[in-house]
Amino acid sequence: MNTLLSEKQRTVRRSVRSFCDRELAPIAGAIDQESRFPWEVVEMMGKLGYFGVQAPKELGGADLDSLSYAVTIEEISRASGAMGLTVTVHNSVAVYPILHFGTDTQKRRWIPSLARGEKIGAFCLTEPNAGSDAAALEATALRKDTFYLVNANKVFVSNGAVADVCLIFARTDPAAGRKGISIIVAERGTPGFVVGDLEDLSGMRANPVCSLRFYDCPVPLENLLGKEGTGLHIALATLDTGRMGIAAQALGIAQAALEASARYARQRRQFGVPIGNHQAVQIMLADMATTVDAARLLVYRTAILRDTGSPFSREAAMAKLFASEASGTVTDKAVQIHGGYGYSKTYAVERYYRDARVTRIYEGTSEIHRMVIARRVLDEYAP
Amino acid sequence: MKFHCIVCIKAVTLHASGKGAGRNSCTAVLNPFDRIALEKALAIAETRAGALTVLTMGPPSCAFVLYEAMAMGAAGGVLLSDNRFADSDTLATSTVLAAAIIRLAPYDLVIFGARTADSDTGHVGPQTAEALGIPMVTGVLTCEWKDDSCRIERKIDEFREIYALSSPVALTVHPTACVPRDIPLAHIEESYTQKEIVTWSLEDLDLREDRVGKNGSLTEVFSLKQAARERHCEFIGGPVETQAAALVDAIRKSGLIG
Repeated sequence: MNTLLSEKQRTVRRSVRSFCDRELAPIAGAIDQESRFPWEVVEMMGKLGYFGVQAPKELGGADLDSLSYAVTIEEISRASGAMGLTVTVHNSVAVYPILHFGTDTQKRRWIPSLARGEKIGAFCLTEPNAGSDAAALEATALRKDTFYLVNANKVFVSNGAVADVCLIFARTDPAAGRKGISIIVAERGTPGFVVGDLEDLSGMRANPVCSLRFYDCPVPLENLLGKEGTGLHIALATLDTGRMGIAAQALGIAQAALEASARYARQRRQFGVPIGNHQAVQIMLADMATTVDAARLLVYRTAILRDTGSPFSREAAMAKLFASEASGTVTDKAVQIHGGYGYSKTYAVERYYRDARVTRIYEGTSEIHRMVIARRVLDEYAP
Repeated sequence: MKFHCIVCIKAVTLHASGKGAGRNSCTAVLNPFDRIALEKALAIAETRAGALTVLTMGPPSCAFVLYEAMAMGAAGGVLLSDNRFADSDTLATSTVLAAAIIRLAPYDLVIFGARTADSDTGHVGPQTAEALGIPMVTGVLTCEWKDDSCRIERKIDEFREIYALSSPVALTVHPTACVPRDIPLAHIEESYTQKEIVTWSLEDLDLREDRVGKNGSLTEVFSLKQAARERHCEFIGGPVETQAAALVDAIRKSGLIG
């Protein structure tokens, strides 16, 4: 699969893998069990540019292409799904929208520290009553003299407990429906910005996913991203990139599960031979490897389209749908190959299995993606 | 005169797929021992405010190791590439490297990895120094410069030797001398978009054809095969204390500890 990459992209893969194998993979199990955000590794990742993969050089980023970005997320997630989540959310749905919809002043203000990982970004869309139906959100940001007064209850915010720069979706014009939703960038420390308790999640436990609440939180008017009323438009544009990132994350988890299963199948002996000699296990390994490669092709295609400036919304939806479902089936088979040990925290596949599950849910459920794809198919073949 | 350090590196093959298999960034990697040598060289060049040039011999598909070294911090790279260099053994390789180093003169320091991960001879560093007629110290841990001379500490088995030498010097770096740095993504981008490598052929090096490639080699590799790795799994039961004792005993019997 490396043959699809340029030499530069292969160098990116080797470098990120080498770092993650040494610094992240060995602690991935512990940070999951302790639900601990590994600041020591995050700091190193920041210095290596993982928090600003595609941000321009003059703003402190690495200025790399989308395929290099996908490979970076894939490799981080191969070591730790939770850290893959931290980095992809930060890059895709915090840094990217500020870069593409922010003013020069906003970019200069937020991007350099975000790109260096000195500040962490978060995307606050989901609410208790607004998930897939984002337009149903209830948060408000009402314009006062020099600020927006933000009142919001945002839940399941990835990176939430450590986030410094938060993109909040809120109604600036409650009467305007979908067209009244805007993005307000709130910084941690603003009065009324309250970090809720950590969500007690099944997987991704090293990512401090939590609720964020904003009580009469005054955010300066200049923190509006884009124009008033363009929140959902920016969200849609942002989520295409976000989905590519989540697809790459799911791919990395599946790859880790595949590798662990192959190693275990060679090592574990039953009936006098390594279990990898049994056809039943070989069939699972073959299906896993084929599924992982198919997912990778879809993810890389999305990245290549994005790099060439082509539309990639349908392809991003397909990559997200397929890669997340693939990581579900692949990690499930990985647990099966490991038998009882796969169901134990002794082996990493137990973590992969839990981490993979949410990739079918966040940044658009599989069902939402099927709707997106189906709409495109109907429009294309039966306009 | 500005301090100039030259590091000779190699793209080592990952999988033995028969003699003469093409090396490229899918099938080969920067020799891990060279990565340590590069780290040592970068640290020295940084303290001396000098320049670092990397050198490799191989087909154009091996140029990626130069870009990787430049992403680590080397200023420029030279690819020694010519069909007539193919099938060079360590002697012919050293002849080509020495000719290139002469062309890169003046230089203060030539650094090599301790050995290569795919052929493991450890010949190329010492042979190149011999061809250049400069002193060579192998297994170097530290190298401290003052003006035009340096103090070198070498590790060999349980002994440490100290040498005092004058520029120019060649050395191979001990695998435990340092830990190579991680490469920031921005440096990878810069290496490929802003740094350049030059390619030199036989004519550029003022060498005779009979001194390079197969003609200039005294040895020939007939085949390259992956070594079979025997795997053996043994379960140790009982309480933890007994398990630990049994494990130590098993390791001792295997000769891994005395």
